[in-house]
Amino acid sequence: MINNKNIIDLDLCVIGAGPAGLAAATEAKRLGIKNVVVFDRDEKAGGILAQCIHPGFGLQRFKEELTGPEYAHRELEAALKQNVEIELNSMVIEIKPDGIIKVASAKGLKTYRCKSIILAMGCRERTRSNVRIPGTRPAGIFTAGKAQRLVNIEGFLPGRKAVIIGSGDIGMIMARRLILEGCQVEAIIEINSYTSGLIRNEVQCIHDFNIPLLLSHQVTMIRGDQRVEEITVAQRDSFGKIIPETEKQIACDTILLSVGLIPENELSRNVGITIDNSTKGPLVDNFLATDRANIFACGNVLHVNDLVDEVSFEGELAAKAVAAKLTGNIVKMAKEVKLTKGANIGQIVPQQLSYPIESRISIRVKEPTGPTTVKIGEVLKKRLPFSRPGEMIVVKLTGAQIEELAKAGSSREVSVE
Amino acid sequence: MQQPYDVIIIGSGMIGAMVLRELSRFSLKIAVIDKETQAGLGASKASLSYIHRNHINPPGSLRARLCNNSQQSYRKLSQELSLSYNELDEINIAFDKEQEYLVKKRMEWALKNGETSFRLITNKEVAKLEPHLNQNFTYATFSEDHGLIYPPEWAFALIENAKDNGADVFFNTEVINLQYSDNKIWDIYTDRGKFQARYLINAAGLYADYIAHMAGDKEVQQFMTRGTFAIFDSAIASIMKHIIYVGGVTPEWSQSISPTVHGNLILGMGHFKTPDSPTDTKVTQEELDIILRMGKEMIPTLPLDDLITSFAGIKTTNNLASDGDFYVGPSTVSSTMFHALICSPGITAAPGIANEMLNLLSDAGLDLKEKPVFKNTREALFHFSEATDEQINAKIKENPQYGHLICRCEKVSEGEIREVIRRGASTIEGVKHLSRAGMGRCQGGFCSPLILKILCEELGISPAEVTRRGKGSPEIAASDNEEEHND
Repeated sequence: MINNKNIIDLDLCVIGAGPAGLAAATEAKRLGIKNVVVFDRDEKAGGILAQCIHPGFGLQRFKEELTGPEYAHRELEAALKQNVEIELNSMVIEIKPDGIIKVASAKGLKTYRCKSIILAMGCRERTRSNVRIPGTRPAGIFTAGKAQRLVNIEGFLPGRKAVIIGSGDIGMIMARRLILEGCQVEAIIEINSYTSGLIRNEVQCIHDFNIPLLLSHQVTMIRGDQRVEEITVAQRDSFGKIIPETEKQIACDTILLSVGLIPENELSRNVGITIDNSTKGPLVDNFLATDRANIFACGNVLHVNDLVDEVSFEGELAAKAVAAKLTGNIVKMAKEVKLTKGANIGQIVPQQLSYPIESRISIRVKEPTGPTTVKIGEVLKKRLPFSRPGEMIVVKLTGAQIEELAKAGSSREVSVE
Repeated sequence: MQQPYDVIIIGSGMIGAMVLRELSRFSLKIAVIDKETQAGLGASKASLSYIHRNHINPPGSLRARLCNNSQQSYRKLSQELSLSYNELDEINIAFDKEQEYLVKKRMEWALKNGETSFRLITNKEVAKLEPHLNQNFTYATFSEDHGLIYPPEWAFALIENAKDNGADVFFNTEVINLQYSDNKIWDIYTDRGKFQARYLINAAGLYADYIAHMAGDKEVQQFMTRGTFAIFDSAIASIMKHIIYVGGVTPEWSQSISPTVHGNLILGMGHFKTPDSPTDTKVTQEELDIILRMGKEMIPTLPLDDLITSFAGIKTTNNLASDGDFYVGPSTVSSTMFHALICSPGITAAPGIANEMLNLLSDAGLDLKEKPVFKNTREALFHFSEATDEQINAKIKENPQYGHLICRCEKVSEGEIREVIRRGASTIEGVKHLSRAGMGRCQGGFCSPLILKILCEELGISPAEVTRRGKGSPEIAASDNEEEHND
């Protein structure tokens, strides 16, 4: 039993002090929510941005190009200006259905009772086992983000001669980073026929640095007893079958994996929040409410975003939702609309439209296309010059458009033809 | 000249560690030598780690005798040494006639070996006990109280306890030659100098034949087979409550799924392959595909996305015993050297083997005189993830580092990581096996850079000296300065 006098009451608890959590807490304070605390397990606020020392952040949100640490600094300054309370080195280890959370830190275990909770825990990197790469298990195999931390924060080099498996954004950025640090990057191995990150990273990190990019290639073996010695790759045909006699060995002492990110939802799962199988994040409505009362989700814990600017916007929206709920100033539509995945759609956020408010709809396609049109029911049609799984498509729906969708039926299809 | 040891054990796997701990009861000068950085990191770590009931050992075999009632020994040891030990019930199932033959054989062996809990079980009962299990089996048996342990934790604790009772322990020490001199003393040449002992125990696991050959016992041969294991996220472990075995008493084939002592799910092991060498623990694409397909056949709803890691384990049979039995006895060249040539279920048999070794040593003239004081207990390693709120708060009050969580997946605190390093861990994997940091779903993605720094602080070494698992496995590249220095 929880001893009542040891429980601290909060209006809002934000879990995670990365860009999503900071934006959410700042906006919440700005909207007049009183008791707000952000918990983060790291020793610094800003989340993974601290290790993203390359430029390219903030073009939408701040209308200028910033590095990751600069972006984080702006968000942190804004938060401090609003007197947001941030508890660092503090890990939320449990959320209970009644808004009770348990936090571990050097100060001991503490219990809070929260009127509302915003999930902003971010994501983690997919590992070698998630993509089932065969071979031995020597030293020298890193996820790209871990290598990024070692190089950019700790000042260590993971190795001298690297092969990168997967062409996610961090992998491409780290390929360039390792070359700048004097390492060799022997190749980037991508299982698909296209890179999985942003086009701009493919151009600026791979092509500009003449790094061999092996598309439609699969890793068939990693060798090395103590430290990585060699990787074997083979070409795949258009059905994904390995083409005989295309196997070749590449000598290396280091392997970086950039094979995707997964929203980190262990806390969410344990409190019974329904997780979308395609995003691996909570199912939410267009106020970012999960299916557990008073729990909202934003940023990479909700779905993996391609730009941090989007993450901050989501954080602010979650705070607006909390404010609206706390003041009771919110009216659901009589009929809600589910957005369903139509042709070539990999994922959609939000999955449900419940409020007639202006909403951003984030979409990822399954396969790349040329010039195309994104459609949402009958109310939205937008031409796109191209679409790629690595680039999130964001379209806006007005409150009126959402009401129109609701009138047309309880579920509407999103498609990219 | 230093006084020779009474007994030196080569190998600190579960067998070597158990023998050392039992020998430390007596007034003897004893030591263990291992080329690894820590106990239990050879073949011991890569196994299913069940403490089996006596149903997989043919009646009358040495295995059957040495595995008799192992659970009782493990229960007692887990109390004394504050170690995790769980027991689960087991269901053996067969999907066809061939498998039925094997499951029936196991039942028959169990009864002959004196097991009392084995019985037939109906499909209806199984469906109730394990609703996620593929229910299309034709035959099933049920039995109680099969143990689960994590061998690296156990081997570490046994060695730690033996050390407390006066045993010497030499890690990072590889035996390169053995000689039996005229004055009836073994000269043990290692890469870190010469040791001497009156009696020698060969518990070198996969390398036991190499060690035998060094001693001139050229007859010993071991034959290796390699199986594959897959570990799944603790988040889904609750789908299984029992150890499930399908068919399989032949050495070439076996399949099982069960919870682990740490609350994950372990899937093993499929068809066995012959490895190229004792270090050939690769998992091929084919093996990975087979084991996951097998998992799906057993548990149709098994979410393959929740695979955390896969690895290979090697076991051996030998030419001194028949039908895959153990050989625990003197070498063919000397009555003062004893081999433990073991196979599955070696971990189950470890207490039995230790007892057998004591008898062999005694028969060979070693005087086993009990020490006036033997400390049979050991301080537990603290585990945040297993402690109650009260225990956690008390520990944090004592040392706030126990509230600073470093490994988010397994909830391991900075205090725990520093504690295992102070008690003997010296590598990233060494820390992992004892503290569990890095064992979870992100596989050390977030915590290993932090652990690297803590290792540097605690051991007073540079980052480039930190290894994954000892010599030749640096975690990061040496800096330019250091490389020049080395030149």
